[in-house]
Amino acid sequence: MKEKAVLALGVFLLGLGLSQVGPFRARLEAALQSGGPRFAQVMLAQDRAQALCTKYRDRLPADLVPGFLAEQKALIRYPQDGRLLGDWKNGEKVFTDPKRGNCYACHAGDPKEVAYGTMGPSLTGYGERGQSEAVVRYTYEKIYNAWAFVPCSLMYRGGVNGFFTPEETADLVAFLLSPESPINRR
Amino acid sequence: MGKRAFVLLGLVLAAFGLFALTQQPKPLDPFEEAKRQRQAFLETFGVLPGELFVQQGKELFLRKGPSGKTLEACDFGKGPGVLEGVYAFLPRYFPDTGRVEDLESRVYTCMQRVQGFRPQEIKRDEVRAITAYIASFSSKARIQVVPRHPQEVAMYNLGRELWYTRAGSRDMSCAVCHDRYAGQRVRLSPVRSPEQGLGNEWPAYRFEEDQLYTFEDRINFCYESIGIPEPEFYSEPHIALATYILAEATKAGHTFEELPFFTR
Repeated sequence: MKEKAVLALGVFLLGLGLSQVGPFRARLEAALQSGGPRFAQVMLAQDRAQALCTKYRDRLPADLVPGFLAEQKALIRYPQDGRLLGDWKNGEKVFTDPKRGNCYACHAGDPKEVAYGTMGPSLTGYGERGQSEAVVRYTYEKIYNAWAFVPCSLMYRGGVNGFFTPEETADLVAFLLSPESPINRR
Repeated sequence: MGKRAFVLLGLVLAAFGLFALTQQPKPLDPFEEAKRQRQAFLETFGVLPGELFVQQGKELFLRKGPSGKTLEACDFGKGPGVLEGVYAFLPRYFPDTGRVEDLESRVYTCMQRVQGFRPQEIKRDEVRAITAYIASFSSKARIQVVPRHPQEVAMYNLGRELWYTRAGSRDMSCAVCHDRYAGQRVRLSPVRSPEQGLGNEWPAYRFEEDQLYTFEDRINFCYESIGIPEPEFYSEPHIALATYILAEATKAGHTFEELPFFTR
């Protein structure tokens, strides 16, 4: 009897606690609004995935991972002609452009580029993986939507968010895999 | 109003341009590079750009506002006129405004409430210089931001939430780089966590940008680089993030650099 009462109290307090999430959210939104309309608009326009990553501090509980990955995978679009390996020269432009790929922010690539970041793995010599269908497809999908592989990774969803088209994603794949690309030249 | 300082600054910048032209293209270690540039300034002029901003800030601090008062009448946390070490305790709650304020927003509100300026009369560059002047009294001071007042705790919690908020078309947050990849580089820029002392170098003269950056300027630079529009100066997101970052740096026992610092 006593246990039941304690349990009921626990459930009641839990419910009370959960229902108090509201005020913090309201306070947060007020703070965001005080930053000005442009700032608030972007910060409040989180999609479901961004909101989940925020809620779980980028460490998604295991039971949410399969659904998250499936949802992200479904966002991947492919070139109309189905070719996932494009023009490496155009890929280099997208890779390098700070307003588009901005890949050197985190990755090493062409050995001649010394101003590269170290947060992501080095991509120099990436083409050693060969050009099997599996490698090409993985590379394409990873670039188009990194969160379809690692939930809440630092790598942003460049294709999904419109920084490059499916065709340009194929060009990026070629920049990574083509033997002529400076990434793979010795 | 600081004409001498501006002329000197102009001279320094012209010489810096010449100096930069002679540099080899290969990028160096960022810390080494900053040291080298700092040394070059000192050897050439015997003065650092940050000191010129401090001098300008001092003149503005002692300028009378429409009310006839200078900023000496403003309480920055240890009583009116006391500047020694005040920056190390900010942001904090101020009963007179009923808000938590960082140094920059405190300057901004005091210029209105104490000195009688209207908001549109307050130039951002003036607040920058005054901030540099006041912060210079906390050079090498131990950071001591410990949220105690309920509003300070609330601001800390808001800051922590902003810190982790993934948003914008680059899917970024502060934490995803500054926590998980602290110690790594974005291009050539070292990225630190609050535990590693993030925030302990502002305000600073950034030689790459050739400008004085306050903490709010630096937070805006970060937001801009991750594709999120900057929050307005003196707004709550700034005060919340500064509270969170500096409170975490306090827990790790960090001290400020020589302020204003000289950095890349």
